[in-house]
Amino acid sequence: MKFFNLLKKELAELLNMQTIISLVVAMGLLMIMGNVMTNTIEEAVEQEYKITLCDRDKTEFTADMIEKLRSYGSKVDEVTDDSEDYAQLLENAEKDCLIIIPEGFSEAVEKGESPEIISIARMKSAAMMSNITNTNSGAETLINRCVSEVFAANAGLTPEDMQLIDAPVEVVSHTVVSTESAEVSSDMVMSKVMMQNMILPIIVFVLIMMTSQGLMSGISNEKIDKTLETLLSAPVSRTAVLGSKMLAATIVAMLQAVCFMFGFSSMMSGATQDATAGIANTAAAQIMPVDEALEKLGLSLSAGDYVLVGIQLFLTIMICLSLSLILGSLVSDAKQTQTMIMPLMFGAMIPYMISMLADINTLPIAVRIFVYAIPFTHTFSAIPNLMFGNTTIFFIGLAYQVVVFGVCMFFALRLFKSDKMLTVSLNFGQKSRYKKSAKKEKSE
Amino acid sequence: MEKVLEVKGLSKQYTKVLAANKVTFDIGKGEIFALIGPNGAGKTTTIRMISTLLIPTDGDAVVNGYSVNKEPEKVRQCITYLPDEAGAYKNMTGEKYLRFMAGLFSTDIDTINGYVDRAKEMCGLGDRLKDKIGSYSRGMIRKLLLSRAVMTKPALAILDEPTSGLDVLNAIEIRKMIKKLAAEEGMSFLISSHNMLEIEFVSDRVGIISKGKLHVTGTADELKKRYNAANLEEVFERVVNGNEIL
Repeated sequence: MKFFNLLKKELAELLNMQTIISLVVAMGLLMIMGNVMTNTIEEAVEQEYKITLCDRDKTEFTADMIEKLRSYGSKVDEVTDDSEDYAQLLENAEKDCLIIIPEGFSEAVEKGESPEIISIARMKSAAMMSNITNTNSGAETLINRCVSEVFAANAGLTPEDMQLIDAPVEVVSHTVVSTESAEVSSDMVMSKVMMQNMILPIIVFVLIMMTSQGLMSGISNEKIDKTLETLLSAPVSRTAVLGSKMLAATIVAMLQAVCFMFGFSSMMSGATQDATAGIANTAAAQIMPVDEALEKLGLSLSAGDYVLVGIQLFLTIMICLSLSLILGSLVSDAKQTQTMIMPLMFGAMIPYMISMLADINTLPIAVRIFVYAIPFTHTFSAIPNLMFGNTTIFFIGLAYQVVVFGVCMFFALRLFKSDKMLTVSLNFGQKSRYKKSAKKEKSE
Repeated sequence: MEKVLEVKGLSKQYTKVLAANKVTFDIGKGEIFALIGPNGAGKTTTIRMISTLLIPTDGDAVVNGYSVNKEPEKVRQCITYLPDEAGAYKNMTGEKYLRFMAGLFSTDIDTINGYVDRAKEMCGLGDRLKDKIGSYSRGMIRKLLLSRAVMTKPALAILDEPTSGLDVLNAIEIRKMIKKLAAEEGMSFLISSHNMLEIEFVSDRVGIISKGKLHVTGTADELKKRYNAANLEEVFERVVNGNEIL
């Protein structure tokens, strides 16, 4: 009962209106970003089939070519403008990209020479997604195809001959993982695995940051506001005080992780939906579907694997909580709280960044030891290790996390149950008041 | 007189500083004992050891028959502690804070309600108890914390600078309240203060501590007589300066 009273108070402290609003805003922003990406990609896909042409050659051949472009499924808009000011041309046409078929185009084709087209695209900003829809690449490919077909016909080649010239070699891809192999391209496997593994590191990172911040500010605020002394002199065990703080920080962090997971999933599905569709289409042409290939290669995680990842995630949170408890106890003002969170922040950021960019197991031995010494690394590398059969490394990591948690919790409990909780603080180069007074007394 | 607190040679040694040096005194039931001394004299260290917040390096303190060394949990059931410049949870309303604190002393809902009603009446904050503590003035927070400290009718209430931050009228009211609780309800108080007027008015006995050592204890009149002083301030000056010279 007393524990629930404490837990209720801790939850109320951590889950205030400010936290809820910022969480809802963050989730909303991620979902909006997902929507923006979806719209941009949809627009880009649509743009692939939209061609704006300015036919200045005006021959029977160009008219036939435009009809052919339409027969490929493209929506062709024709504009008539003789301006040589391309910016003005786009302005007049109210378009962001346009292709000019200049005079002499048909003549060059007839002569068997390489004809010229002028491709104009407006660049609006340097942002990655902002220019995705301002491209003529789809149109250029189709025009090339039309002209190729004319050249092929003139040379007496059939469309089948052309296909053979375009892709003379048939590639049969096989991917090997450990001792298993499957008839599937490694690019497709990689794309699928990457998409699956993208969310967990984000959740782990958010969890580490949120739990440490929650618990550390919970303890440091009590110290700074001097409410800790009142609380510890009340008839309630220190274990209950400590337990309620840890549980509340975990609950709030979990809630935040779920919200972020939802937001990120929404954003990532927006960003990857067409890529996935692309893979699915290609996969359909393959002998083996990707999911089946993943299973054959042993890259699909079983329920048992997910339980192991869950255990490691739990251990990570517990290590994070015990470290936060120790660091929070050393804080004596609000500024120090921000400073003390830095070790945990870097401890989470280093393995997060490395696991995103490289395979930790292939790093030089000294770097590998350093990275694996950070207990959070083992959670970031948990899924890849289980997927690729590095179970020994996984279990060594798990055992290491248990040991680190045991050591951290031992010191955290000792600290919380001793009076050091109220007397210890970091001075960062400043001499403690006790040392100062001792020195003063000596000099007197 | 029945003893509520017996402090027996209580010491606290930090790495290089002896913050409390064999402090010995006792407090009877319904008695108000004031611990006075200059800054850094060891008042708060002594009070924190009695409140079970600090572990003594030597000696013991027995509250209502329970040792702070052996049975700190039982000691905490008999005491309440109001630290100097203590704050309260700013996001809670005054009433919620009182209810939360009462919930740490009892699990019985009727008892909790009784504690809260008593505190509400004593603090005199009225409807402001429904507002968040973050909007309170320093004086209002002090009144809230004081009512919290006495709402459970502890055997011993330990108050560090009980009237700091309060205006004259509120300070007088609090002093009267402390005297009334001691006289009518038999509650004992261990008070620390820099305000000699307050000490003289409110306390039954005084202990003067300096450099971690409790030099003298007695009633205000006894001490004035012993040190041939007109008031407690002069007694304090003579005891502290005398020990500085020594």
